[in-house]
Amino acid sequence: MSAQARAGLRPETEGKIFRPRRTLWGDVWHRLRRNRPAMVGLVIIGLMYFTAIFAPLIAPYEYDKIDLENVRAGPSREHLLGTDELGRDVFSRIVWAARSAAFVSITVTSFGLALGTFFGALAGYLGGWVDTLIMRLGDVLFAFPGLLFVFFIAATIKPGLIAWVKAIGLRELARSGYVDYLVVIIALGLVGWPGLARLIRGQLLSLKRRDYILAAQATGVPTWRIMWRHLLPNAMPPVIVAVSGGIGGVILSEATLSFLGIGLQPPNPSWGAMLFQYYGYWRTELWPLLFIPAAVLVAIVLAFNFLGDGLNEALNPQLD
Amino acid sequence: MTTVLEVRGLKTQFFTQDGVVQAVNGISYDLNEGETLGIVGESGCGKSVSVMSLMRLIPMPPGKIVGGEALFEGVDLMKISDDEMRSVRGNKIAMIFQDPMTSLNPVLTIGRQVGEALELHMGMSKSEARQRTIELLEMVGIPSAADRVDDYPHQFSGGMRQRVMIAMGLSCNPQILIADEPTTALDVTIQAQIVDLVKKLRDEIGMAIIWITHDLGVVAGLADRVAVMYAGFFVEEAGVKDLYGDPRHPYTIGLLGSLPRLDAERGRRLVSIEGLPPDLIALPEGCPFYARCNYRIDRCETENPPLRLVAPNHRVACWIDVTTAQPTR
Repeated sequence: MSAQARAGLRPETEGKIFRPRRTLWGDVWHRLRRNRPAMVGLVIIGLMYFTAIFAPLIAPYEYDKIDLENVRAGPSREHLLGTDELGRDVFSRIVWAARSAAFVSITVTSFGLALGTFFGALAGYLGGWVDTLIMRLGDVLFAFPGLLFVFFIAATIKPGLIAWVKAIGLRELARSGYVDYLVVIIALGLVGWPGLARLIRGQLLSLKRRDYILAAQATGVPTWRIMWRHLLPNAMPPVIVAVSGGIGGVILSEATLSFLGIGLQPPNPSWGAMLFQYYGYWRTELWPLLFIPAAVLVAIVLAFNFLGDGLNEALNPQLD
Repeated sequence: MTTVLEVRGLKTQFFTQDGVVQAVNGISYDLNEGETLGIVGESGCGKSVSVMSLMRLIPMPPGKIVGGEALFEGVDLMKISDDEMRSVRGNKIAMIFQDPMTSLNPVLTIGRQVGEALELHMGMSKSEARQRTIELLEMVGIPSAADRVDDYPHQFSGGMRQRVMIAMGLSCNPQILIADEPTTALDVTIQAQIVDLVKKLRDEIGMAIIWITHDLGVVAGLADRVAVMYAGFFVEEAGVKDLYGDPRHPYTIGLLGSLPRLDAERGRRLVSIEGLPPDLIALPEGCPFYARCNYRIDRCETENPPLRLVAPNHRVACWIDVTTAQPTR
């Protein structure tokens, strides 16, 4: 009789492990799921990207469809949130603006994350003059007040970019307003990376002295593989938290730029541009013209912050 | 008996703000096939630095291997390229570390970490490496290895993790296994299990071992030969029985005298060695043990004794013959 059988266990369970098997990320998800604000945030964020992807199906009209017969109409069955001064459907523009926000937020974040990871990893792992060079460059970018610097970049590159697009024979593109997106993405991306680079560098500086990195070196693992497989995954938790909060920031920055007239401009749909367009009516038509884009923006920025906080707790369980 | 590793005059220094730390000061030894060499000494005597230098894993800067050679398979490990050195590490010379709690990467499964060396050095595919990893885990005595290969390090106890480290070290059938205090962080019963496991595997696989420890008891049961290190020098080197039965260096005598023994008479006081080891930034001109030595003579203050043969396979760095000399203080 085996020890297990004597202990009253059935023989077929011998040698089996009874814990539920969870991966590291499964563990994080498990903790995140119990965080209500984070889950609300996740739902709102999910809704926004869903809207962005299926905008053509959800929006009843094109974002730039002008209907001069029906200018500044109130909410109705045809126009859920009414129309603006050119007769464009406000609800449709709100929906299409989700696509602008999603596109800008994803590209800017990927751009910033790529630059930040590349430079941060290089600086943190190699150290020495590479580190000094990259970090001083980051300090220079940091020294400018963030948004002001974005204005500066956006205002500087926009005319040049449009001229260049025309020069290579894409007149249609130059007139379409899509160049606005490029300007916003470049400006925000260039300003966004030093923060992430610093974060990743700091992580690597402490992680590269860990015993398991030494053990990997002693196993003959090449440098690039130590970086990708051993260091960066360990550096990820704070980066994920920073990026999650950062996406909200990017959406807000895009709105700010558009509000101030150097970001996306009508007819491109943008919540920020809509705020600019309607804020003159705040006494008479607060609802829905001004209220809706503002509320959507607030909800989404809050959602990203809630999710960021939730991820922070889920990734660092010792915090509670 | 063939020699797998010949170390000659290995010298490592650290260039710090306070000065040059002379961590390893020209040590030489041979390691024979299948032999276990124990290197003992107190904290900071250069044990770890000497083997890390061998693996070229000294952080540079501030560290630098300033001299010496290490002949392995006809090449000098100190001179080959970084790429060539990488193909030796984990493959022909493997290493296991002191603290199994921190030596495994928390975000990678055990299987992927053990399998990494197999993929890198043996050119195995992921699934082959996984299969071999399960065999290795079984070999080091991990129960339900096939189930546990996908677990993460935090799901293992300290002793089990050290078994995993050993499986990692042995994955490519190395000719030399370097063990840097692998039992220090474990409690005594687990220590004994790990030592037994290494002995068993050594007899099966036949690799040579360099075992670093400050625990004279562990080395006694494991090593064929023991070298005693002090202030970056080898001060005595002998077969394990000779070293314990017939120590010839005043430092070794002091170390052995400081051990509690079960067979000692009741009430015997443990002897301690007075003083501290010298500052490695300002090493004395003469014998590094001079200040603490009970047998010292004037010559010791000005001339550092080289290792000399005092009996077959027994080398000592001392001007005195302790078998005839009387303590001078």
